[in-house]
Amino acid sequence: MAKGFGDFVRKRREALRQRDERFSVRQVAQRIGVEPSFLSKVERGDVPPPSESKVVALARELGEDPDVLLALAGKVSSDLQDAIRKRPELFGSLLRELKDMPDHAVLRLVREVRDGKW
Amino acid sequence: MIELKNDQLVFRFADVHADARLTIEFQRTLRIPDDDRTYPLPPGLGRFPIRHVDDFAVNVPEPWIEHGGVMLPMYQSEALWVNFHSSYPFAVRVATGKIDAVTGKQLRPGLGRDPQNYLAIPEQPWLDGYCVKRGEIRQFVAMPLGAGYSAEEQITGAAESGGLQLVAYPMKAKVYERLRLDRAGLVLGRGEFTKVFAMAAPDMGLAPGGRMRQEIFDDPHKLTDWDQDHSGRCFVHLANSFAWRQITGEVPPTVPPTAKEYTKAGLPWFEYYDDRLEAVAGSSIIEQLKSVAGMGREKGDVPLPENQAVHATPIVVLRKGLAKGQVREGTF
Repeated sequence: MAKGFGDFVRKRREALRQRDERFSVRQVAQRIGVEPSFLSKVERGDVPPPSESKVVALARELGEDPDVLLALAGKVSSDLQDAIRKRPELFGSLLRELKDMPDHAVLRLVREVRDGKW
Repeated sequence: MIELKNDQLVFRFADVHADARLTIEFQRTLRIPDDDRTYPLPPGLGRFPIRHVDDFAVNVPEPWIEHGGVMLPMYQSEALWVNFHSSYPFAVRVATGKIDAVTGKQLRPGLGRDPQNYLAIPEQPWLDGYCVKRGEIRQFVAMPLGAGYSAEEQITGAAESGGLQLVAYPMKAKVYERLRLDRAGLVLGRGEFTKVFAMAAPDMGLAPGGRMRQEIFDDPHKLTDWDQDHSGRCFVHLANSFAWRQITGEVPPTVPPTAKEYTKAGLPWFEYYDDRLEAVAGSSIIEQLKSVAGMGREKGDVPLPENQAVHATPIVVLRKGLAKGQVREGTF
């Protein structure tokens, strides 16, 4: 799992680095507040993915969805965990209800960019 | 459906294919000199912030609410480039003021191949401007709508739409599945509002700026490979950065460095080639447009401060499509 996460991060970071030097290991590490050698190890899969807050910071840097990156790291965002803990019955049944629904049905719940007349 | 997440537009076609997801963002960059020399690609300086127009309905011009969509802040004479990110193939049309940036024609629904009026994603990683001729574009530069500089105003004679329009069509799912097998992993309702204060017109349009080397790649797929029964479109309004704070209460990004400052700091420029792909010819309509500097001279204006030529080095060459160790045959 760590390898998949690291590979994903490295590929995306290198794609962004093509036209933007700020996406070197050193600079990305600096911006999310870890040592460059640590980020290198994460990318190689030598160490497990970092903490939730670092994964979220990394996702924002790389323009990736934090939840997707967290899932790749084998984690679930703590705000989602909190939401379930606060209303376990409601959210438990909601998620079980939705888990087998096709994506397009679930996406109806998400806020869309509204299109108008042009 | 289109979602706005983390200053990116995420197009999803879950009813076409679970992988059909395209991300589009707008990169801040420096304005290349508009002096008829041809420059390499300038860098990315970070994403522009993007907001739903509906969230600031009280403060934005009425037509923006009618158009729907999103907005981002740009200073007059600031440049941008469009960054595409997807592993699923998409055909994307890009227009400014409803003028197609590839063909120079009015934006009408549908994809066309003769001439090609769209970008093939993921082959086309970026778009920096209007396709002038094969391998050359003119940079997208923001100018106030109504000042006469925008491609829209030069072509239609009217300043009606402004902004930037995107329409994305996914590849047909069965074509995608076939390609994937072939290649084992494709690399490839608002309420009633009253205006509470008057402010400077925030509407910006994009105009053709300096010349840059960039190829708009000829689509390597067939026109029938695209699923034209499914599309998603988004109107991106360009708000003058000085009005951004009044509209949103947020501070807009700072003015980007000039080409001269950037080059003086020894920072790199870029060139991108894909040896597997051909470039489309440019649009004669766009080629005939006046650049911002050219029109400024006619009007007796100086629309572009700091427009001196720069020696754009060092250049980082990004090359796709060569096998490891393969020697590239150049032109000689």
